[in-house]
Amino acid sequence: MSVRAIGEYSFPSRSRQELYGQDQLVHVLWRHNPTMGAAACFRAPRAMRFGDFVHAMVEPWAASDPDFDPATVTDWQLEGEAIEPKDDETLADLGVEHKFLLSFTTGRA
Amino acid sequence: MAKMSMKQRYSALTRDLSWEPSYVRPETMFPYTSFEGIKIHDWSKWEDPFRLTVDAYTKYQAEKDRRLYAVLDGFAQSQGHLSLSEARYLNAMKLFLQGVTPLEYQAHRNFSFLARHLNGAGPRFAALCQSIDELRHAQTEIHTLSNYNRYYSGLHAFNTMHDRVWYLSVPKSYFDDAVSAGPFEFLIAIGFSFEYLLTNLLFVPFMSGASFNGDLPSMTFGFSAQSDESRHMTLGLEAIKFLLEQDEANVPIVQDWIDKWFWRGYRLTSLIAAMLDYMLPKKVMSWKESFELYFERQMLDGLFPDLAYYGIKPPRHVQHAVAEKDYLSHQVQWVLYQFSFAAAFTTTVPEPAELDWLSEKYPDSFDRLYRPLWDKAKRIQDDGGRFFFQGLPQLCQTCQVPMLFTEPGDPTTICQRSSEYQGEHYNFCSDGCKWIFDREPEKYVQAWLPVHQIFQGNCGGPTVPEVLAWYGIQDGDNGEYLGSVDNQNWIGWHAGAGVKTTTVGG
Repeated sequence: MSVRAIGEYSFPSRSRQELYGQDQLVHVLWRHNPTMGAAACFRAPRAMRFGDFVHAMVEPWAASDPDFDPATVTDWQLEGEAIEPKDDETLADLGVEHKFLLSFTTGRA
Repeated sequence: MAKMSMKQRYSALTRDLSWEPSYVRPETMFPYTSFEGIKIHDWSKWEDPFRLTVDAYTKYQAEKDRRLYAVLDGFAQSQGHLSLSEARYLNAMKLFLQGVTPLEYQAHRNFSFLARHLNGAGPRFAALCQSIDELRHAQTEIHTLSNYNRYYSGLHAFNTMHDRVWYLSVPKSYFDDAVSAGPFEFLIAIGFSFEYLLTNLLFVPFMSGASFNGDLPSMTFGFSAQSDESRHMTLGLEAIKFLLEQDEANVPIVQDWIDKWFWRGYRLTSLIAAMLDYMLPKKVMSWKESFELYFERQMLDGLFPDLAYYGIKPPRHVQHAVAEKDYLSHQVQWVLYQFSFAAAFTTTVPEPAELDWLSEKYPDSFDRLYRPLWDKAKRIQDDGGRFFFQGLPQLCQTCQVPMLFTEPGDPTTICQRSSEYQGEHYNFCSDGCKWIFDREPEKYVQAWLPVHQIFQGNCGGPTVPEVLAWYGIQDGDNGEYLGSVDNQNWIGWHAGAGVKTTTVGG
């Protein structure tokens, strides 16, 4: 089904990747931590290395929770599928596309 | 000439003023009432339960306005704001002014469009009356709450904020969705779903909250709007019955709209849930009680059995809403709490008596899931900190609420849904919002999502202070309530004999 309209109805996405240049939006969810009420959204270069992404963006955000310990971060998932990212892989290498969801836990159930 | 009966007079002043076009085709005169697929065979079958005429309508409304403005004057002259339950009560009214009042104005505009573009004289006139009501509601709400603007923060730029601030994109995009639909979908979206199905859930909490918390002006406004609202409810019900009775082919179209607009409206009420359970210092009823009474009992048990006669079923995804009633307000408020640095209202850890009230009202969920969060927030605050989310949240493409909602049946797992459309990935908070997107993706790809707009550089700049400045948020509007300008003033006004005021607006 599609929109019923009085004329042609076709508009570009207002969040399409090209609006972010070489960057894209990446969501990060801290699974099973109720303190963080939602996943975060970051703007990151597609060529950013995973290790840099975690240290420069994810950790400062996760540190909003004073109980955060970067050493405990584990069990990464991309769109719900387990992955084992290496620090020097880029987000693009890992298959992280615009507005995809990465998630991790810190070992708490 | 003999005096006309009420019925004759009504007829003379409304339907008799209508005419059949003689030199243009009806489709030319009413170009918007066929593209949605709704079939109307006889517009004269629309019943007007109120039989209002313009002179009767204006006389009655003017009288109500006189009474309201007398109360507003008296309250202002007697420094009535000092007898509110507490300054933080006004957070509820800030949310109302920023989130709801601009919707009244939008409703005014679209009902005035219907007053021109529906083929039948009866529904055109009903839409005209509602259009004027909505304009009057917008005006009287602004006047009612503007008295507080002299003394309290967060009320000074509600219209700019409505267009720009992240949580206000929830009500704004909801209404934009409705006014950009065709006239019949608008009638089901706003006339039926908003004004009938969800109206008590939306408005009663604000007006009872006003009454319990010493806000005489807002309470009086509520009474003044009540008779209009009952007319709007009747119009909404009349609209749906009319569409269903005109042609059987209308039934599946209307069902789809009910399914869509129930969920759209229900997600909008999540802000009300938080308001009812957390923003009112003097509690009225819990969100769960309100949902059970105004939605489950009155609508699911009362209205839908009647609509079953036409082949209409309860809304799709309604069971998800029912299953959320123990969690919704807590999840939403917890997010408002951690993002209130970017809001035009303040939040704070509930006081011990409030926590106990929440435990009592939510025996199955509060102590197990949510009290520990407030204890943690309190601990952080006692250590001199304040828990804020240091970043921006993932938003739902459809409802635009931060993706805080949990899996049906599992309140500890954030619900994540997604769709691919024309090579792009879209995220949703729930099956309901995903279903709405998948049905009309062309519409929702246009969503102005505040987080994405900030990252595109369209909201004043990349830093939080720049975005807040662009939002129109001033010092004192946002963040933690304790120690805020409103809190300090409140303490000053109620301590000793002198009345000391800290400047509002930094």
